[in-house]
Amino acid sequence: MPAEASASSGQGGAPALAHARGARRAAWTRAARPWLLLAPALAVLAVLLLWPLVRVVLLSFQNHGLRQINTGESDYTGLDNYREILGDPFLWKTVLPNTVFFAAACVFLTLLVGTLVALLLARLGRTWRVVCSTVIMMAWAMPAVTGTYVWIWIFDPLNGVVSGGLDAAGAIEPRETNWFTDRWSFYAIATLNVVHHGFPFVAVTLYAALLTIPRELPEAALMDGANAWQRFWRITVPTIRPVFAVVTILSTIWDFKVFAQVYLMPGGSGANPEVLNLGVWSYIQSFSRNEYGMGSAIAVLLTLLLLALTVGYVKALAGEGEEP
Amino acid sequence: MARSSGRGGVPPAGRRLVAASAVLALGAVTACGGDGGGDPDTLSLWIMEGTNPDAASYAAELGAAFEERTGVGLDVQFIQWADAHDRITTAMAGGELPDVAEIGTTWAPEFGAAGALADLAPRIEADGLGEDLLPGLYDAGTVDGATYGMPWYAGVRALLYRADVFAEHDLRPPTTWEELREVGLALREAEPEMIPFPVAGGSEYGLDPFIWGAGGEIAEPDGDGGWRATVNEPEAVEGIAFYTSLATEHGLSVAAAETWLETDQLESFQNGEAAMVINGNWTVTTLVESDPGWAERIGVVPIPGPEGGLSPSFVGGSLLGDFQSADPDLAWELISLMTQGEFAGRWAESSGYFPGRQSLVEEVRAAGEPLVAPFARQMLEAGASLPVTDRYGTIQGEQLLPRMLQSILSGEATVREAADEAAAAMDETFAG
Repeated sequence: MPAEASASSGQGGAPALAHARGARRAAWTRAARPWLLLAPALAVLAVLLLWPLVRVVLLSFQNHGLRQINTGESDYTGLDNYREILGDPFLWKTVLPNTVFFAAACVFLTLLVGTLVALLLARLGRTWRVVCSTVIMMAWAMPAVTGTYVWIWIFDPLNGVVSGGLDAAGAIEPRETNWFTDRWSFYAIATLNVVHHGFPFVAVTLYAALLTIPRELPEAALMDGANAWQRFWRITVPTIRPVFAVVTILSTIWDFKVFAQVYLMPGGSGANPEVLNLGVWSYIQSFSRNEYGMGSAIAVLLTLLLLALTVGYVKALAGEGEEP
Repeated sequence: MARSSGRGGVPPAGRRLVAASAVLALGAVTACGGDGGGDPDTLSLWIMEGTNPDAASYAAELGAAFEERTGVGLDVQFIQWADAHDRITTAMAGGELPDVAEIGTTWAPEFGAAGALADLAPRIEADGLGEDLLPGLYDAGTVDGATYGMPWYAGVRALLYRADVFAEHDLRPPTTWEELREVGLALREAEPEMIPFPVAGGSEYGLDPFIWGAGGEIAEPDGDGGWRATVNEPEAVEGIAFYTSLATEHGLSVAAAETWLETDQLESFQNGEAAMVINGNWTVTTLVESDPGWAERIGVVPIPGPEGGLSPSFVGGSLLGDFQSADPDLAWELISLMTQGEFAGRWAESSGYFPGRQSLVEEVRAAGEPLVAPFARQMLEAGASLPVTDRYGTIQGEQLLPRMLQSILSGEATVREAADEAAAAMDETFAG
């Protein structure tokens, strides 16, 4: 029965109808209440996340420069920005390989070091565990900008600690060495920086996962004659796999969009195009060149790339989990 | 029954909560559309922080003088150089621009072309000021006859050298390019631990004098209102080749300098490594302030020309721009107050820069102060400006010249190849 009908016929009508109306109202309220309670959070999310996201996508279809910012007019150019980016050999030869290989190396090393440190933490006694976790937490707590400057300083070709040591060993001539101009050594330093900053999170998270393994399992395996290697692969790995999946996805996302660690390195802000990655390239396109449309298009592409990677990875993991 | 009503009907307290949530949500949305709109009784002014150690009292006195003159208050805000460009861009998008702001020289054409700055040329002409404005700075703000910024204060780079080291080895500061190389080679022999003349790959302004000194240009108007790159033409290439050869052939620099910025190069001078650097007049003030002993150890000469004379050096500094103020007369009144008379001289004096007026710089040169006068001479006799087009801001953003310099210094490209590549990239930007 439609609500209006019940409302009109209920005018001074039977108490049963009034009751039905009340019940319907109650049902509606019941359904709406969670949403109303969620509304503030959702509104904040919409304003802070969704709207900027929509704006970026819209901007990526426009030619948006200082003039457009000043006048507020918009100049839609369709897929021009995307066409220009995807048709740029610089993207395929330099930017994308830099981004992908750098991220792959960082994720692999971060997870490797993180897992090893987590296993170490699990074996340590209480005191040493506290000491070790405090030390790695400090690496984690260091802001990316500060950390980057420290690494630059360590690898300073003229007065840095590393070049000083290598000079004393007679391996290099500091006056003729500059690690920041070469693509490989540049990224080796950046990788050290990112791994150093990223592994504590992995280590702490995996250590927490390791704690969930019941004591009886390894003990029983030991009784059955399993060696350390078998116990690791048969008991530890399956238990921490879901957590491992999560930290892998997170690390992949973080390492793909590395910005400060590259931008702040000598030559990393554009003077050495060899070393640009997607994040820095997008920044230079939009903020240094005042082509905000183009920068947005690169950002959208980066997002799509990350989405594809994440979806693929989650699917692969889900498939793996169903097998046994 | 009681149970069902307790669940179905929202209790008063709960109802209030739901209502409050909804109101909050609405508030959160509408709060973002807040209005800007300044107070009509004050004029807003943005000044860069860090140029002048005495800026706060200057601002207070400027405000008092302005209010006395016009009856309108002044709201001075200090912003950081590093994020000033983004800040102005954001303010532009949000309609929150100040009435008057200090801007970098290369920003004037850029913001002017975007329509954010008012043309001051008619007012400069009406007040008869054009003649006396510092040419390098005045040109930098003037595009097609429209002046988007009034010269406020200026700085220029010249050659700083270690007077004590030179005296010890009986060396004289260079007056030609040949002498620059010779004195560098002599320093390399005499002081093997020092860097005779670091060639900083990240500093465009160290390279410019050599391009201009050899008779070249970075870019020129193409005659149809556009610009074309000339950085790969023979004169410019000769200048680039000489400058980079000091590092690549003659070993007067170090590999680390390939990625140095101007600040790194100054640091190497400050900690006693570099013997000669091209740096700005403001750095002398900073050095002497950090350690008065520096006054004895530094010498300054203008940047020599290839066969004597001077190589032109970039005149940097600040302009005052009128960001389409609602009250252009008042904005001009403020700009006049700051760039003429007492306030102009005071700012320059306490910040270690030069006022944007030729007559005032002339006075400084005549005073003959050894650490200041050579800069004044450089500015008056050989001051130059970068290509005055909004596209040059983009080119600087892309760091095309540092890119060229770095690839030559690191041996990735020859001078010719690197210059051709830079010119091609520049032309692409000029073409839009």
